[in-house]
Amino acid sequence: MNMTVDEKTTVQAAEAIRIHDVTKRYENGTVALSSIHLTIEEGEFVTLVGPSGCGKSTLLRIMAGLDQATSGQVHIQSHAAKGNEQASFVFQEANLMPWRTVLANVALPLEISGAPVAERKARALAALEKVGLTAYADSYPRQLSGGMKMRVSIARALVSEPKLLFMDEPFGALDEMTRHRLHEELLNIWMNSRLTIVFVTHSVFEAVYLSGRVVAMEARPGKIKEIIPIEESYPRTNAFMTSPAFGEKVRAITNTLT
Amino acid sequence: MQANGQVTNASVKVLAQEGISAQAGFLKKHRQLIYKTATPMAFILLLLALWQLGVRIFDTPKYLLPAPSDIWQAARKGFPDLMQAAGNTFIAALLGFLLSVALGTAVALLMMASKWIRWGIQPYAVVLQTIPVVAIAPLVVIWLGPGMNSIVFISLIVAIFPIISNTNLGLSSTDRNLIQLMRMYKSGTWMMTWKLRFPYALPYMLGGMKISSGMAVIGAIIGEFVAGIGGGKGGLGMAITSAAVQMQTSFLFACTIAASLLGMAFYLTVAAISHYSLRHWHESAIRPDKD
Repeated sequence: MNMTVDEKTTVQAAEAIRIHDVTKRYENGTVALSSIHLTIEEGEFVTLVGPSGCGKSTLLRIMAGLDQATSGQVHIQSHAAKGNEQASFVFQEANLMPWRTVLANVALPLEISGAPVAERKARALAALEKVGLTAYADSYPRQLSGGMKMRVSIARALVSEPKLLFMDEPFGALDEMTRHRLHEELLNIWMNSRLTIVFVTHSVFEAVYLSGRVVAMEARPGKIKEIIPIEESYPRTNAFMTSPAFGEKVRAITNTLT
Repeated sequence: MQANGQVTNASVKVLAQEGISAQAGFLKKHRQLIYKTATPMAFILLLLALWQLGVRIFDTPKYLLPAPSDIWQAARKGFPDLMQAAGNTFIAALLGFLLSVALGTAVALLMMASKWIRWGIQPYAVVLQTIPVVAIAPLVVIWLGPGMNSIVFISLIVAIFPIISNTNLGLSSTDRNLIQLMRMYKSGTWMMTWKLRFPYALPYMLGGMKISSGMAVIGAIIGEFVAGIGGGKGGLGMAITSAAVQMQTSFLFACTIAASLLGMAFYLTVAAISHYSLRHWHESAIRPDKD
């Protein structure tokens, strides 16, 4: 399980997240997660995939500290250990404040942490540049398309320069073309940084295309069924999507899930 | 939006340069605006003409129903008095309105901050709304004495409920996802209130202010009925009372119209402020009125 799939972590693969025997039980007795063990290494792109009710979102939220496990431990390792300040979360919806401009939305995390005004602006612009939206800095969210809103949301997550990025079905509401473009942009951002990304989706294709490892989960109770490494090297191209290797992985994961 | 009212040559030129379709759109928009303004104007003119004609034909006594021309004359003759009265009412209503906004918002914030305060206050805010103001007005005069203090206070009582109610609704309907987002960034209560809840509640608050702006004027006039003092210090309420006693029905009409114009001015000012502060993001300020 500790194999290094990601080629850029050649120096040494330190653990970013270690989940030990995590269980989540709701008050009504439903077991959302049952005895989860998972280790994610620094710089990895890991995707949690599974049917609805498999607890993939819950697991992500527990990792991000947005939710509490009923039992078990979550370790956030190394220099990312300082609380969750080094972690960001991208939700299913863009969750932008409609009264703020794009730039002010991106700068929000810095504003809350009390960064000086000039620094906020510079860093927010830098984050916007990563998602290619500098031209829209002064626009309001209502003027943007769904894909652009999601880019702003990603820029806001990146502005605090996190070590860990948690993404909960961020592209689920987007059309196919936009989604694919955002996949490429996200992979670019990831390759140009030291980010560790944990990504939740119900799309097997998305999981295979993006990640170094796919964690296939099953429902009732939520469990990890299998962890499938995707050996294809980065940067990944469109050719990968039509390759036999891609199809084989998709088939293998689909078989695991059903 | 900017095409309201007069259009400068420059803007027409700019529109012309933007091409035929823009110009056609502009004309269409402009025509609709003309129709929308002209129709009610024509309607009121017709009504006034019928009124004038009816009074002349049936020779109604002035003290019963004055003709529009009589009202106009009475307003012109008593113009200084009318303006002074309207000025006094304006000040009282403005103070009543501003105080109701400040106090109402403060109460709503307290209600948001603690459920105990909310549970404790909420029923009485409703009670405040159901007590007939005319009934407690004399009590206010006993406590605060006749004059400005009482008038402003009565205006405040009348105007505060929509502010509390709407602000409370706005503050408690904040988007859960955004609350979660703020929590994730370790936002404290102050940040949460100031950067999220307050802006989120703003459209609701402005809606409440629109309602209470007109009510503050009504409250001030009720206050003047009960607590007004004469000698150039009385407002429109006072002027209405004395005109009624002296059977100066024409002037009474003039005062009533002035009161309604004052209320409208209040409302339109608040509506303009509301539109200005929401123009970038809130649907209510973005979508043009659909017929």
